[in-house]
Amino acid sequence: MSLSTTPLTPEIVSHEGNAMVLSMGPQHPSTHGVLQIMLEIEGESVVKADPEIGYLHTGIEKNIENLFWSHGQTNVERMDYLAPSSNALCYVLAVEKLLGITDRIPERAKHIRVMAAELTRIASHCVWLGTHAIDLGAISVFFYCFDLRENILDLSEATGGARMHPNYLRVGGVNGDSPDGYLEKVDALIAKFPGRMRELRGLLQANPIFQDRTIDVGVLSVEEAVQWGVTGPSLRGSGVAYDVRKAFPYSGYEQYEFNVPTRTEGDAYARFLVRLDEMEESIKIVAQARENLRTPGPYAIDDPKIFPPPKETIALSMEALIHHFKIVSEGFRVPPGDVYQAVEGPRGELGYYVVSNGENRPYRVRTRPASLYNLQALKGIAPGNLIADLVVMIGSLDPVFGEVDR
Amino acid sequence: MPSTQTPPIAGTAIDPPGVRPDIDDAVIEVVSPRDLRARLEALRTQGYSMLLDLGAVDYLERTPRFEVVYHLLKLPAAAATVGQVGTPARLRVRCGLADGEHLPTVSDLWRSADWAEREVFDLFGIAFDGHPDLRRIQMPHDWEGHPLRKDYPLRGPARERSPRPAFGLKSNVQAGTPPSGRTLEALQEQVKEARDPSRLASLAPQDDKS
Repeated sequence: MSLSTTPLTPEIVSHEGNAMVLSMGPQHPSTHGVLQIMLEIEGESVVKADPEIGYLHTGIEKNIENLFWSHGQTNVERMDYLAPSSNALCYVLAVEKLLGITDRIPERAKHIRVMAAELTRIASHCVWLGTHAIDLGAISVFFYCFDLRENILDLSEATGGARMHPNYLRVGGVNGDSPDGYLEKVDALIAKFPGRMRELRGLLQANPIFQDRTIDVGVLSVEEAVQWGVTGPSLRGSGVAYDVRKAFPYSGYEQYEFNVPTRTEGDAYARFLVRLDEMEESIKIVAQARENLRTPGPYAIDDPKIFPPPKETIALSMEALIHHFKIVSEGFRVPPGDVYQAVEGPRGELGYYVVSNGENRPYRVRTRPASLYNLQALKGIAPGNLIADLVVMIGSLDPVFGEVDR
Repeated sequence: MPSTQTPPIAGTAIDPPGVRPDIDDAVIEVVSPRDLRARLEALRTQGYSMLLDLGAVDYLERTPRFEVVYHLLKLPAAAATVGQVGTPARLRVRCGLADGEHLPTVSDLWRSADWAEREVFDLFGIAFDGHPDLRRIQMPHDWEGHPLRKDYPLRGPARERSPRPAFGLKSNVQAGTPPSGRTLEALQEQVKEARDPSRLASLAPQDDKS
């Protein structure tokens, strides 16, 4: 198959005026991963910026098509590696919709999922804040943030056994109830959080250097943000209160009380404030979920064809053994159809368009990567700014390249 | 409680969206490639201000083979509070097209389509007429084929292994004798020995005739 294509080389080759072409990245420290930006610059100001992505393309979508439904969920956690549980939540919700079991998910499983998703949002924002601050020369913020994130990773390790990719959320529920002592650790985190946030705000919010670097930098107007498909905190920093948790509640979010912080300035500082406020809203949700988890109950759907029976029963019941064997060896089948499911990830609307043709593996899983669309907006906001401000813009859009490139 | 899995699903669907269960996730519209541009322009003026995503699916056994799916969101003009946003309408536009057929670009209507169309072009080989910069985005620029097509092989052809790098780089050795005591000459001798044709022949499997 050969298609006539346009030339495959980067198009920024302009020799008019004093413009010069500079390749920033893919090993530049401020690009947070493997982003290359082809810059056309005049002196220190950017005339045109064209991000080149794909350096981290690992074909996750293709992989998922060739694995069982339950394996796909392990893979999607690797996309946005800073917020694995948000990805997993979105995927399992989509598969559950196709299975038609959304109404049968136990309440306790929903609360555990909400808690996992919100904890992962805080952890992700911690990484964003730490690296964003380090880009601007504030080193100590990084350590405060990673300390907080460490507490959350410990929780993640307690639930799933792994720190980065716990693989805790499963189609039909979660993989086991909250372990002993887990909720007490959550309590400790909730108690520690306000003081840590005060410190973080104290370090940056009124810091004149930080304000000089971020206020009126990378201004994204409402129209531009909507045009570029920007979602999440970056969109709310421009004054649009679109939050998937409020607009299309999922997994019981309608029972939780939280605000959607917005700002109208649309600059890097506004996005910074929105994310900080969002972390505080998230811990409010975690606290409510923790209260809800006081009532015991089942943590997974009672359907051995979808969710394997408890491991302890395998030695006692032949049916349990057979169900376990069947699920492990050939997975479960999902009725044919297609569905689009979205959740509010830390970077915005994270969506999966899942197609099943009735087999035991997905036919197609198309991701709606929030980072990709947010990063794309850089093309619109970069021109006319200094190279040093470009670093601030990248940081404030918070791209994660596992998700951009997949 | 009876499982949703009983009775077992027989066979596989060739056109899954055509037999989808009743899931209330979006309003679905099917358009032909010829009417696509006019329809999307009309939707744009009707207030579907955000193109959330654009992706493709390869239904190998179906005619038309490919399907490009547009996910639209109708954000209200005034959306400063959660109440004003409410529950915006979601619309999914499905457009089936045959292999080799082109689609008109919508990157001038929604700029978010820019990279999404490039990705569909890269991974499925569907070209978008009028796109300002249609080139590969995820795969290397000299890649052959379109990996997300269903007939794309999962493994590449068997290739001869590239030769291993020499054990010691000249520059390393020149900096002084390495802790192992091996000099450049000794290393070169080792490499020479390792690559000796008679030695390689003796290592080849003798009884494997296949």
